Amino acid sequence: MSLWVDKHRPRVLDDLHYHAGLSARLRALAASGDFPHMLFYGPSGAGKKTRIACTLRELFGKGVEKLKIDQRVFLTPSKRKLDVNIVQSNFHIEITPSEAGNYDRVVIQELLKEIAQTQQVDLSAKQRFKVVIINEADSLTRDAQAALRRTMEKYMSNMRIILCANSTSRLIAPIKSRCLLVRVAAPDETKTIEVLRYVGKKEGFDVPDKIAHEIAEDSNGNLRKAILVLEALKMQSTDLDKPLTIAKPDWETYCHKVADMIVQEQSPQRVMDVRAKLYELLSHCIPPTVVLKTIADRVVDQVDESLKADIMHWAAIYETRMRVGNKKIFHLEAWVVKVMSLYKHFFYDIDMSGFDD
Amino acid sequence: MAGTKIKPSAKSQGKDIRGFFAGGGGGSKSAGSSMSTQRSNGSLKPSGSTKPDVIEIMSDEDHVESGSKHFHPKATPRSTQPKSERVMDEDDTPSPAPTLKRKKTLIVSSDEEDEEAEKASPPKKKAAVAASSSKAASSSTSASKPTPKAKEPAPRRTSTPAKKRKQDDDFIASSSEEEVHDDYQDNEDEDLPKKGKAKSKAAPQKAPSKKAVPAKKGASAKAPAEKATGTKGKAAAKEETVDADEDKPKPKFNWAAAKAAKAAGPMAPGSKPLPTPAAPDCLAGLSFVFTGELTSLSRDEAVELAKRNGGRITGQPSSKTSYVVVGSDAGPSKLAAIKKNNLKTLDEDGFLNLIATRVPDMSSLDDKTKKKLEKDREAIRTAAAEMEKREKKAAKASAASGSTSKTAAENKLWTDRYAPQTLKEVCGNKGQVEKLQRWLHDWSSSLKSGFKKPGKDGMNVFRAVLITGSPGIGKTTSAHLCAKLEGFTPIELNASDARSKKLVENSTNIANTSLDGWMGGGQTTNAAGVTITEKSCLIMDEVDGMSAGDRGGVGALAALIRKAKIPIICIANDRGAPKLKPLATVAYNLTFRKPEVASVRSRILSIAFKEKMKIPANVIDQLIEGAQSDIRQVLNMLSTWRLQADTMDFDEGKALVKMNEKYAIMTPFNIIQKMLGPYMFSSTSRETLNDKMELYFHDHSFVPLFIQENYLKTQPARVKNLDGPEKALKQLELLDKAAASISDGDLVDSLIHGPEQHWSLMPLHAVCSTVRPASFLYGMGVAYGGPNAMSFPQWLGQNSKQNKLTRQLTEVQARMRLHVSGDKAEIRQSYIPAMFPYIVKPLVDEGASAVDEVIERMDDYFISREDWDTIVELGVDQNKDDFVLKKISTATKTSFTRKYNARDHPIPFHKAADMGKAPRQLAAAGPIPDLEEALDVDEVEDAADEVEDASDDDVSKDKLIKAPKKAAAKSATAKGTTKGTAKGTAKGKAKAKK
Repeated sequence: MSLWVDKHRPRVLDDLHYHAGLSARLRALAASGDFPHMLFYGPSGAGKKTRIACTLRELFGKGVEKLKIDQRVFLTPSKRKLDVNIVQSNFHIEITPSEAGNYDRVVIQELLKEIAQTQQVDLSAKQRFKVVIINEADSLTRDAQAALRRTMEKYMSNMRIILCANSTSRLIAPIKSRCLLVRVAAPDETKTIEVLRYVGKKEGFDVPDKIAHEIAEDSNGNLRKAILVLEALKMQSTDLDKPLTIAKPDWETYCHKVADMIVQEQSPQRVMDVRAKLYELLSHCIPPTVVLKTIADRVVDQVDESLKADIMHWAAIYETRMRVGNKKIFHLEAWVVKVMSLYKHFFYDIDMSGFDD
Repeated sequence: MAGTKIKPSAKSQGKDIRGFFAGGGGGSKSAGSSMSTQRSNGSLKPSGSTKPDVIEIMSDEDHVESGSKHFHPKATPRSTQPKSERVMDEDDTPSPAPTLKRKKTLIVSSDEEDEEAEKASPPKKKAAVAASSSKAASSSTSASKPTPKAKEPAPRRTSTPAKKRKQDDDFIASSSEEEVHDDYQDNEDEDLPKKGKAKSKAAPQKAPSKKAVPAKKGASAKAPAEKATGTKGKAAAKEETVDADEDKPKPKFNWAAAKAAKAAGPMAPGSKPLPTPAAPDCLAGLSFVFTGELTSLSRDEAVELAKRNGGRITGQPSSKTSYVVVGSDAGPSKLAAIKKNNLKTLDEDGFLNLIATRVPDMSSLDDKTKKKLEKDREAIRTAAAEMEKREKKAAKASAASGSTSKTAAENKLWTDRYAPQTLKEVCGNKGQVEKLQRWLHDWSSSLKSGFKKPGKDGMNVFRAVLITGSPGIGKTTSAHLCAKLEGFTPIELNASDARSKKLVENSTNIANTSLDGWMGGGQTTNAAGVTITEKSCLIMDEVDGMSAGDRGGVGALAALIRKAKIPIICIANDRGAPKLKPLATVAYNLTFRKPEVASVRSRILSIAFKEKMKIPANVIDQLIEGAQSDIRQVLNMLSTWRLQADTMDFDEGKALVKMNEKYAIMTPFNIIQKMLGPYMFSSTSRETLNDKMELYFHDHSFVPLFIQENYLKTQPARVKNLDGPEKALKQLELLDKAAASISDGDLVDSLIHGPEQHWSLMPLHAVCSTVRPASFLYGMGVAYGGPNAMSFPQWLGQNSKQNKLTRQLTEVQARMRLHVSGDKAEIRQSYIPAMFPYIVKPLVDEGASAVDEVIERMDDYFISREDWDTIVELGVDQNKDDFVLKKISTATKTSFTRKYNARDHPIPFHKAADMGKAPRQLAAAGPIPDLEEALDVDEVEDAADEVEDASDDDVSKDKLIKAPKKAAAKSATAKGTTKGTAKGTAKGKAKAKK
C-alpha cells in the first residue's frame, strides 16, 4: 500500500522513462569495470536517487536492494551524542552527513575509513569495490569536502563515492574534478505526462489530458510531486472527470498568505506579523530558500510590472546572504522590509502622478 | 577713542561679510572667529555703515589668517580679517545679549584651534573665555551697556580693559585669539576659585547651531536673551533678528549642529551659551526635575549643570520640587504631577537664566535651615575632633606597649583608620546592624533555650546570619564591630583561606585563623592560639567566593551551622546566587542596602575635614554617587587624591569618579532601552561611537538579538516631524536600512563564529548589528509596558524549536528511507502533505473506525506512533497541530494509541541507544573548551566509558533482548509482518544479536 510514487519507482535502468542517453551511458560505465567516482546533480524530483539505485543494481545485481538501516552513535568532544543513520546493503553504504551537523568531517572520515579498510569479502560479488553514496553533498561543510579529497584517491581500489546534490555550486572544485559529473535534469512537461500516464495505467485508469497537463504544469518538473498530486487527485474523485483543483501543500498556502500580507499593508506592525509567520515556517522545517522563493514568486505575481525586476533582484541578493549567514530570519525579514519599502514608494509615486494629471 | 573709530569700519565689514556668508555659506569656522573679534568691535559701535567691497577682500584675508593660527591683528588692517567683518554683524546684536557673543566667540575659538574643536568640551571653555573677553572689550569700549549678566564679566574686564582697549584701538581686528588669552587670564585671576567650571559653563557649546537652525529659532532664542539683559533697546533686538536671518544661510557652521537640525528639526545642541552662574552654588536649596528633551543641552548635561551649581535633582516631581524643567516630549505622568502639585515650570531658557541670575542669599534662608547648616558643620568638626582624639589615644597606647611605631595610624589605610568604632558611626543600614547586635546579644540565652524562642526580630531561632549586600557598604565592618561590642572574639575566614568541605568541618577545631585575642590580652590563650570558646564568633566572609577548590564548602558550612555552638556570621554579595541555597534555610538573611548619599556624606566630610582637605559637599555627593555608595571606594579615592592635592572641585571629582568607574554589566533590556530610546542618538547626545559600541559589548551575544527583535517597535525620532504618507515612506525607508544593516551584521557574525573565527570583527559586528540599526530607528516607544513592549528575542525559542523538529524529521526520514528516496526537505515538502490525507485526515473525518486503516498505512512506511505526532506537529496553516488535534476526538486518539501499542509493527532499524551500543568517540572537530569544569567532566566520563566498553558484549544491556521467550516471539512476528527488505533486516538483526 505504498504511495504510487514509491510503488512504481523504476528499479532498473531500462525502466527509466526519460534521459535515455544518460541511462545508456550509466549502463556502459557499469559494464566497463572501471567505474569512476560520480556526482549526480539536479533539482529534487528529477530522479537522481532512482538513477543511482538503478546504476547500483546494474553494478551489483539484485543484492543491492536488500537494504538495512543502521544507526551509529558518535560522541562529540562536547559529549553530545550524535545519531547517524546509515542505509546499507552488502555492496554499498549510504550516508547523510548533514545529520552530523558541524561534525560531518569527522563522521565522514570515520565511516569512510572503516569501509575503505575492509575489502569485499563476498567472492561472488560482481565488483571488488563498495560504493559510498553521500546524500545532500552540497550541504557538506568545506572542511568535510576538503577531507574527502584525499580519501577519494587513496581508497580508490576499495571504494567508489557517489555524491548526490542539488547543485554543484557549493562543492569545491577539487571534488568536482575528481568526479564524473552527471546532470539529471528535471523532466519536461511531455515526459512528465508520459510518466503520469504510465502510473495511471499501472493503477488501472487513464489520466485525462487536461488533468495530466495541469499536474505537469503545477509540478514544475518535480516528478515526485507530480505523482503525489496525481494520487491525491485520484483520491478526491475516483474517475478524475470533474474539474479538480490541485491542493497546494500546507506550507505553500501559508507562504502565499505571507505574500498577500506583504502586498496588502506595509507597516512596522505588518513586518512583525510577517516575522511571526516566517518563524513558523522556518521552525516547521521549511527551508528558508524555499520560503523566500515561494513568497517572492507570489508577490511578483501581484505587483506592477516595473517592480518585478527589483523584487526578484533583492530576493536573489538576500538569498545569497541567507546562505552565507547564520540566522536566516534576519535576511528574510530584511527582504520583506525592502519589498514593502519598494512597494510603498511605487504606490505613492502612482498617487502623485495621478494628482499631477 | 580709537576703538570707536574702528567700530564703524568693522561694522561695515561685518555686514559685508554677512552678505558674503549668505551667498557662499563660507567656512563656518572662520566666520566664528571673525565673529568673536567682531563682537568686541561690534559692541563698541551700534551703527555701522557697511562697505561691501572692503568686505570681500577682508574675507579672503581672514581665511588666510585663520589658517595660520595667529596673525598679528595689529599688523593686519581690519579689512584683512574677514572674520572681523562677520563679527561686526554679530556685534550689532551681541552687545546686548552676552549669549550671542559667547556663541560667536566660541565658534571663533573652535576655528582657530581645530584640534580643540574636535573635542567638544575644550572649545567650549575657550569660547566662554573668548566671550567674556569680548564682553569685556565691549564693555570697556562702550561702557553704556551693562547687562545683568554682564555684571560678572564687567569686573574682570576692568582689570584687563587697558590691554584690551589698546588692542582694540590699535587693531580692532586684533586676533581673537589674543583677546581670548587675555580674557582667559583675567578670568583665572578674577573668577571664582572654580575657574574651570565657570569657563565651561560660560562656554556655549556650539555657536553655529543658531545659524543652522531656521531663522525663527535663532530669532526667538535671541529674543529672550535680550529681554533678560533688558538694557538693550528695541533697536538692538531688531539688529539681532536681522542677524539671525542673515545667519541662516550658512548652514555648515558646525557639522554636528547641521546634522542635528536635519535629524531632529529644532534640536540645537549647544545653541545656547551656558550662563555664568551669578554666584557659587546659585541653585542651592532648590530641587529640580527634568522631563522631556531640552533643545541645547542633553539631559545629562542639564543635570550636571544643576548639580554643579548646588541644585538637587530628583526623578519624580513632588510637592517639594522647586522647579520642573520641561522640554519637548515631556512625560505625561510628570506633566500630570506638575498640574497636581501646582509646580513652577521652566523651559530651557528659563533654567539657564535662573543660573545666570539667581543669587542665593544666605540671609534669606530661614533660621531653621541656617541653624541646621551650622549644626552640620559643627557635627563634622566634632566628629573630626573625635577621630583625632582616638588616634592620639591609640598612638599613646601603642607607645605605652612599646611595640609598634608611633605612626601606626598614619600608616594604616584610610579604610582601616576611619573604620567605624561605634555603632553610631556606621553609615546606613542602622536597623540591620542593630538587629545583628541584638541577635549576638541574645545568643547565649537562645543557645540555652535550644533556639526555640524567636525573640523580637524572629532571629533567635537561627544559629547563623547571612549578610548580603554590594561591596563596600560595611558588611564585614559591621560584623566585626558587633561581635566586638558584644564581647565576642571574631574569627574570620575569608576567600583567602581554603574552605573546602574538609577544612570547614575541621576549622571549628583548628585555631589558626585569628590570633588577635591571644595577641591582645592573652586571657583565652593556650599554646595553639585561640581556642574556640563560647565567646568566639565565626565570620565567614565572602561565602559566595567559595568555589573551585572549596568544593562542598557551602554545604559543609550549612551542616556546621546546624550544630554550631558559636554564632556564625556569613557574608556574601549576591543573595540570589544558587551557591548560597544551602544557607538560605539555616541562616537568617540580613540584607544590607546601599546607604543613601546623605548618610555617607557627613562621615566623608568629617574625614575630609580631619585630613584637612577642602572638598565641597556637592563634590562629595558626586563621588559617593559615582562609586554607587561604595564607602570603601570613596575613601580609597580620597586617600589617593590626598597625596597630590587637598582640594577638589566639581570637575576633578567628576574625572576621579570616571577613572574609578565600576564596570557594571547592564541587562539587555536596559541596553535596548538606552540604545533605541530617544536620547542615545538625539542631537543633544554626547555619546561617541565608542560609547555606543560599548553597550553592545555588555552582552555581545544577546544585544543584537534584542535589537532585531525590537527595532520595529519604536516611533523613530527621525520621522516625528513628518506626517501621513511621507512619514510612512520615510519610516519604511529607515526600517529598510536598519534591516539591511542587521542582515550585514549576520554576515559578519558568521565570519566570527565560522571556521576561521575572526573575533577581531566584533567591533564591526557591533556597528552593523546594533549601533547602525538603532541610529536609524531610535525614538520613543520601546518600553516595558504597553502594546509595543520590549520583548525577549523569539529567535532563541524558535531556533530551538526548529532544531527539535528537524531532529524529529530526520528520524521520520530515516524510517521512511527504505521506501522513499527523498531527503528531509522532500519529506517535509512533498510526502508529509501527501500522506496527511492517509494517516491523519481519516482520524479527523471518520474517527475511531479509521484507526486500523491508518495504522496499516503507517506500517507501510515504518512510521511509529511518535512519528505520527511529529508529522502532525510539522503541519502549518490548515494543518497546524493544535488545529488538527482539536478536531480528533479524544476517544479516537485513545483508541488509536491503544490499538497501535497492541500490535507489532515492522521496524526498519533499532535505535542505537536501545541496543546499548557504545558511542564512538569522535576526535575533536572544533576547539576543545578549556573550562575547568569540562575537564572535570571528562575524567569522570572516561571512566564510565571504560566500564561501558567492558560490558559491551553483555547481552543484558540490549533492551531488545529482555527474556528469551519474548525475544523469540519478537523475531517471529518480525518475520511474519515485515515484508521485503525490512524482513531481512529485522531477521538479520535478531540473529546477529543472539
